[in-house]
Amino acid sequence: MQKINRNVVLALLTAASLVFLLFQLSYYRFYLSQKNAAVFSKGRGSQSGQDSTRWHVVRKFLGLISSQNIPVYLIDPLVLGLIDKDIEQIRSSSDGPSPECKYFCAPRDFTTFALLDKTWKHEMDLFRTAEKMGFQWLKILNKDPRLDGMDDLSGTEIPLHYIFKLASHAIHLVVFYERSGHYLWHGPLRLKQHMDRKFVPFRKLHFGRYPGAYEKPELLLASIDDLKVQIPKNPSSFLEEISHSRFLECRYREARAFFQLYPDDASLDAVEFRKKAKSLLHLAALTLNNLGVKFWLSSGTCLGWYRQCNIIPYSKDVDLGVFIRDYKADIIPAFQKAGLPLKHKFGKVEDSLELSFQGEGDIKLDIFFFYEEDDHIWNGGTQAKSGKKFKYLFPKFTLCWTEFVELKIHVPCETLQYVEANYGPDWRVPVKMWDWKSSPSNVQDNGVWPVDEWDDVIQIY
Amino acid sequence: MPGPVTMDEWKPNPVVKPHKKRSWYLAWKYKLMNQRALRKLCQTGAVLFLLVTVIVNIKLILDTRRAAYEEEEESTQDYDDEMLNVEVPRHPASTRKILDVEVYSSRSKVYVAVDGTTVLEDEAREQGRGIHVIVLNQATGHVMAKRVFDTYSPHEDEAMVLFLNMVARGRILIFTIKDEGSFHLKDTAKNLLKSLGSQVAPFLSWRDMWTFVGKKGGEVYGEKHAKSPALSTWGDPVLLKTEVHLTSMEDAECHWPDTELNRRRRRFCSKVEGYGSVCSCKDPTPIEFNPDPLKDNKVFDVPVAVIAGNRPNYLYRMLRSLLSAQGVNPEMITVFVDGYYEEPMDVVELFGLAGIQHTPISIKNARVSQHYKASLTATFNLHPEAKFAVVLEEDLDISVDFFSFLSQSIYLLEEDESLYCISAWNDQGYEHTAEDPSLLYRVETMPGLGWVLRKSLYKEELEPKWPTPEKLWDWDMWMRMPEQRKGRECIIPDISRSYHFGIVGLNMNGYFHEAYFKKHKFNTVPNVQLKNVESLKKDAYEIEIHRLLGEAEVLDHSKNPCEDSFVPDTEGKVYVMFIRMEQEADFTTWTQLAKCLHIWDLDVRGNHKGLWRLFRKKNHFLVVGVPASPYSSKKPSSVTPIYMEPPAKEEGAVAVPAVAAAEQT
Repeated sequence: MQKINRNVVLALLTAASLVFLLFQLSYYRFYLSQKNAAVFSKGRGSQSGQDSTRWHVVRKFLGLISSQNIPVYLIDPLVLGLIDKDIEQIRSSSDGPSPECKYFCAPRDFTTFALLDKTWKHEMDLFRTAEKMGFQWLKILNKDPRLDGMDDLSGTEIPLHYIFKLASHAIHLVVFYERSGHYLWHGPLRLKQHMDRKFVPFRKLHFGRYPGAYEKPELLLASIDDLKVQIPKNPSSFLEEISHSRFLECRYREARAFFQLYPDDASLDAVEFRKKAKSLLHLAALTLNNLGVKFWLSSGTCLGWYRQCNIIPYSKDVDLGVFIRDYKADIIPAFQKAGLPLKHKFGKVEDSLELSFQGEGDIKLDIFFFYEEDDHIWNGGTQAKSGKKFKYLFPKFTLCWTEFVELKIHVPCETLQYVEANYGPDWRVPVKMWDWKSSPSNVQDNGVWPVDEWDDVIQIY
Repeated sequence: MPGPVTMDEWKPNPVVKPHKKRSWYLAWKYKLMNQRALRKLCQTGAVLFLLVTVIVNIKLILDTRRAAYEEEEESTQDYDDEMLNVEVPRHPASTRKILDVEVYSSRSKVYVAVDGTTVLEDEAREQGRGIHVIVLNQATGHVMAKRVFDTYSPHEDEAMVLFLNMVARGRILIFTIKDEGSFHLKDTAKNLLKSLGSQVAPFLSWRDMWTFVGKKGGEVYGEKHAKSPALSTWGDPVLLKTEVHLTSMEDAECHWPDTELNRRRRRFCSKVEGYGSVCSCKDPTPIEFNPDPLKDNKVFDVPVAVIAGNRPNYLYRMLRSLLSAQGVNPEMITVFVDGYYEEPMDVVELFGLAGIQHTPISIKNARVSQHYKASLTATFNLHPEAKFAVVLEEDLDISVDFFSFLSQSIYLLEEDESLYCISAWNDQGYEHTAEDPSLLYRVETMPGLGWVLRKSLYKEELEPKWPTPEKLWDWDMWMRMPEQRKGRECIIPDISRSYHFGIVGLNMNGYFHEAYFKKHKFNTVPNVQLKNVESLKKDAYEIEIHRLLGEAEVLDHSKNPCEDSFVPDTEGKVYVMFIRMEQEADFTTWTQLAKCLHIWDLDVRGNHKGLWRLFRKKNHFLVVGVPASPYSSKKPSSVTPIYMEPPAKEEGAVAVPAVAAAEQT
């Protein structure tokens, strides 16, 4: 009888699994019907495969914005990813109909487009037309960051994001603003209290979790799935930008509080130093960007940005950080060519590399190279007369964009940890007497260079 | 189907039946038992498969639930605006149809309360004398305008008539007198008040107290009056309490066609009063102007900053003229309002422009100065690609060819390092001293009043050392200081492209305006082609001046230069005179000459290396200071430079120019 029982168990399990299977099936059907609410009749798309809701919504949206003469361009990472694979073909292809719907037919919740604010007006007309076409829309406004650094200016809020929803598909329109430093900025997407949190699954949006900074893209009018649409001329570099686009706003409010406590130095010397440091930074940024070397604000320059959104007038130099993996031998000649002669070179590529260039006036440009370990990052220091080595430890960090003295520039995203590692918990208090060998709270002795290497690792010009 | 068949066959022996069946089952079982290993395998496989299915299914259910939950969570966390979690209190739609209005009039205090809210209270001494007028919206009860007309003084009653005529029919008007309001209240005004329903107005007399509430072109809600018993005393204070019936929204609004423009107009007109025909129901004046575009407009992308305070009527007039100028680009205009005033922002919105409010910092002139700094910084932040900015003030009329003038001349700022600014204003360009709309000058002073600022100048030089709030400096005086100007010059037109109509401002009073601004010449000719712009560059200008001086006729220096006969009755000629100017800063004779020519004499304006250029009787008239000016060499040796002595100084005379220097901003 035991064996029969076993069979009963078997039968029961089969039944259970069948039930689950049925449930799965029905759930899937329910899910599908929710996704592709059958708004459009199948006959509308002329070719097979183009009857997807998404394609229709995108087409309607493009019709809407072209009726209002608003130039938008495609920035959807998933679609651009597909496009990028066939970019040569798309660039060269004539207007002939494409055989299949390759890009806009993959079922997604969103398609993302970008809009430049300068080309934008008569919002009301757009909304009215959109409503007539059946779109529901949502507008996300927020403060204008370009006025954020200003003493108490309150402009009208600016639109940062628009969402147009039709049936089960939504168009996410991101508004890009040009900011000082010749770059484009888009804002974060933040819902206000009264807004419909379920309007679309906001979590799935590709843009809006953080603000972002981008270069001005060159555009290309392409025919994608028989739709005329502007795309970045070089999708792969744009996609690359997306992944590192996070932008940090300077902490203007804290900076203002800092200046309340420690009034700014407005003497002629300070004005003069800031002017020179700014132009040195611009020159350094231009040189490194041309070489394709990624760099960030480090040490005192980073502290100046974080604490007071400005150059610290008594800091006497400009400090940049570069990962050693980004080191290029061209750096020194490139700076020399830019009119910045090498002042000294400490360490070597394998260990504690540091370069100093002589800027205009007495200002020095220091480039520290950072070495990555498993759980920390460090850079080195060398005392010229004794050959002593020092090591400055930092917790691991990633890089974010920010705007500083009219430059789009990198800073560590985890700035507070970075600054605290370097300057200790009292970084808020200005210190004019600073010794790079003992003052930093993250400095460690790191032995001495072997004497026979001195000629190589301590070069002073 | 062998089973049933055998069953039928074996009927007599029913016991066997189950046995037979059982044997079939056993056979099957036996068969399977023979393949025991296989069976085991199948069984385990099936059980495993089923288990996995069950687990996967349960996981799926959990996953979808969590995803749904997270979706909700995320949208309420990451995407929440942490700054703006404060619920904005909404005014409950007023269901009340009746307003309680209280109006008080007395010698030293007036107040008006609507539904218990004080909308006017004035008990300041030596201020607010005359008739206070408040306009309420008849549907909402909101205050739309607040004015005081000092009808003790002349001409204020005319202003009041003008204002009352601009108010739309149906609005609720509240009047109350503080101190004295009848001395210069003429019959026209009294009749108008009578026509509004006032019984008392025609008989208002010296130091009477009076309050009145009525609807324009409709019923009277109440009126109270206290007669002054004697010349030396005031009437008793009066307090009028009355009720006003509100009408429906539809009755209070005009029925303009529903367009974007009219929506803006409606919003504006339901909020404020006193802008005349822009809110007229029948034939409203346009708020979009669409002036002709300029061909090859070089300033289309140049941002325009309009610096404003709380003078919305001025701003309204200013923006009208600005938006009517050919080549204007409304997208580039930003109005910066100093303070959280609503009405100027309403005006800005009416015209569909961008407006920014600025929290006032510091006091008096320093406040203006900080406002300028914030506005200029914001302008370049908002337009990072701009190389220039046009700076305007709210009390200027803008010439129809303002942008055309700039479009033709702006390249000079780019190419000539020795230039400080381009200004639309000629300090010495009066009706009788300016003639040629196509002529430009180089001057060492910075006139302001509609000018172009180079971004590099602002960002690199001015912004970093802009006077801090505690320094009570005028921004424009500061900009004119040699430390800032560094010997650079401004380009100005002979005939101004802006007109300074402001009267009531921080830096201005009626007398100064009358004397120094009213007779200023203002260009009204469109599309003026500027003459020889290239010659305004540093070196070319010297050649041009030498050419002019070479061709100029030397005037008769024995005559009195103040006399009209000093300049012959000709047209289109060039004359030169020489005045004494011992060193660069010696303007004694020039100031006296400016005084008698009735041009700007409060400080020195419009000079270029000791040379002034203007027009007299339609002749170009050059004044050279000898020997300080490098052009002194052009003086014939026979001519003695004219010297004019300043009048003996009176008490306090020194103070006037010092104060007045600040006047012209």
